[in-house]
Amino acid sequence: MFTYQLRLAFKSLRRNPVLSTLMVVAIGLGIAVSTASVTIYYIYSGNPIPDKSNVLFHVELDNWHPDRPFNRDHPERAPFQITYRDAMALMQSEIPAYQNAAFRTELMVFPDGGERRPYREVVRMCFADFFMMFDVPFQYGGGWTDTADQAPEPVIVIDSTTNQQLFGGINSVGRSIKIEDRYFTIIGVLAEWHPTPKHYDPTNNAFSEPEAMYMPLNFTPIFESTSRGNTWGWADESIDTYGDYLQSELLWIQMWVQLDDETQKQAYQDFLDAYVLEQKKRGRFDRPLNNRLLDVMTMLKELEVVPDTTKSQLVVSLLFLVVCAINLVGILLGKFLGRAPEIGVRRALGASRRSVFIQHLIECEVIGVFGGSLGLALSVMVLDAINRMLANGEQLHLDLNMVGAGLLLSLVAGLIAGIYPSWRICKVAPAVHLKMQ
Amino acid sequence: MITMQKIRKIYRTEHVETHALDSFDLEVRAGEFISIMGPSGSGKTTLLNLVGLLDSFDNGSYMLDGEDATTLSDRQMSRIRNLKIGFIFQTFNLIPDLNVFDNIDVPLRYRGMPAKQRRAAIEEALSIVGLRSRKKHLPSQLSGGQQQRVAVARAIVGRPKLILADEPTGNLDSTMANDIMDLLEKINEQGTTVAMVTHDPDLAHRAPRQIHLLDGSLIDLEIQDKHVPLIAAMPTSANC
Repeated sequence: MFTYQLRLAFKSLRRNPVLSTLMVVAIGLGIAVSTASVTIYYIYSGNPIPDKSNVLFHVELDNWHPDRPFNRDHPERAPFQITYRDAMALMQSEIPAYQNAAFRTELMVFPDGGERRPYREVVRMCFADFFMMFDVPFQYGGGWTDTADQAPEPVIVIDSTTNQQLFGGINSVGRSIKIEDRYFTIIGVLAEWHPTPKHYDPTNNAFSEPEAMYMPLNFTPIFESTSRGNTWGWADESIDTYGDYLQSELLWIQMWVQLDDETQKQAYQDFLDAYVLEQKKRGRFDRPLNNRLLDVMTMLKELEVVPDTTKSQLVVSLLFLVVCAINLVGILLGKFLGRAPEIGVRRALGASRRSVFIQHLIECEVIGVFGGSLGLALSVMVLDAINRMLANGEQLHLDLNMVGAGLLLSLVAGLIAGIYPSWRICKVAPAVHLKMQ
Repeated sequence: MITMQKIRKIYRTEHVETHALDSFDLEVRAGEFISIMGPSGSGKTTLLNLVGLLDSFDNGSYMLDGEDATTLSDRQMSRIRNLKIGFIFQTFNLIPDLNVFDNIDVPLRYRGMPAKQRRAAIEEALSIVGLRSRKKHLPSQLSGGQQQRVAVARAIVGRPKLILADEPTGNLDSTMANDIMDLLEKINEQGTTVAMVTHDPDLAHRAPRQIHLLDGSLIDLEIQDKHVPLIAAMPTSANC
């Protein structure tokens, strides 16, 4: 029966191709807008590292103003970044499976051969564990060792785009590259990597591309690098030298640890508390003890990585789809009621109200699915345009889940558009229309 | 086959009540061929719609082939229409964008019959009405007489017990009308009960039994016992 009703739906749509096309386009527009919005929300609110998100912890120490919390709306929350000196102290712990303190800076790159002019590049200063704990994929080579961190050794990891630009995409491991006043040996080239949101540093545009280069953080004092990301401060302190900067209460380092079980987590929490209590004795950390370990998803939620505007857009786009569907109600009602004599005949020949209802609902769902397919194609274009506008690479894209969501939305739209007209036509009294044929 | 007692059917609008049938009694036995005559507005089509479970009545009782019509759900009535009743209309009522084969297929589709059986039944019905060569034609490609024969094929394809024909020859010339009457008689001879509304006295007289309606009441009864024993069609209204 379903195939028969499907066949009737196609016949009905072919009967008036212009009207059918208009209805498909209306649903298609609604689906395009809503699927694009749902995709943006889905990607923005997704888990960027599902396999490890519950063992990676963002370290927060409440080193803020003694008299006011970092976040007035949520006084229980601590700052999302820590000071350089606290980061260096915490890196001495041997509890975590992996640990990493990092920040984003900019350094001058001097390409070999003189064909390209020197340029400033975004560089992530980090520790060796960064690559392991965040499952960073490599195209060539790999990350550096703890020994390279300590020295520090002049080693560097570059991303695939930089490798393409500077070395034509070949395996450049072992090649040298001049950064500021010294040469670094390339020991790894990243494969394509677009963590979304950029969980390891969501304070600096969670949806920007990862950095182009990665080098040991211990080069920070050597290059006298400063943060090119968010820096927060509350203390009235004079910073006259680079040494003052490193010893200041400015918060600009992101600290992450990997704690594989509850015991490890508790041990690290105790370690943090002991550290802060020790610092309190030295006149720092005037606020109540509030050291926090947030897993990836909790941290992203607290940081409100998904902007409120994205949520609003999602709601508005879904409402737009509903409006598109509601606009079809009148058209479908007119179309179906115009077919009342035929329905009278079908009822006389044995069609129940239910089968008439289902027949018409299937027709609406066929419109919905065609509209959905058109909408998905349009949403690919919309997302591509947004990616180009935001220079996001291909962060926003339809995956199978979103294609499924788009088709589901199109079925819902078909249902919204069709349920009332289908109900009306199935209630038609057959006897009234049989004489009118 | 049909037992109606004290049937009342009133059409209501905001200001007007029209008594289409009033205290109407009718009994038709299985295998009968009855013709129903009467002037326009006398309730002929209303009677046929009630008999065919296409409309509801306000009062009275109606047994169709042993089933109490007053207790049936829409689904049950649809099932009975599909299994037991074949309809033929004055205006043929073929579905314009379905070809002859698919038009005849409609009642079988709602019966959920397997494709092979459907095909065989349709071929047989087409043979009976003499239109096997036209099964791929659309209704618009057929003459009026051919269209009505398709409607007859559609009515008989499911081997119903009852054929309800509402002025089946009203849009046809006399030759074609006689062809259709011949078909109905042939169907009746095979044991199918036929109830036919007509304005044509000559055609009405070809039925063994004629019923006359006036203003919703049975006012005349003429029995020509050709095929079946005496039937009872007892008027109970004051007009009779």
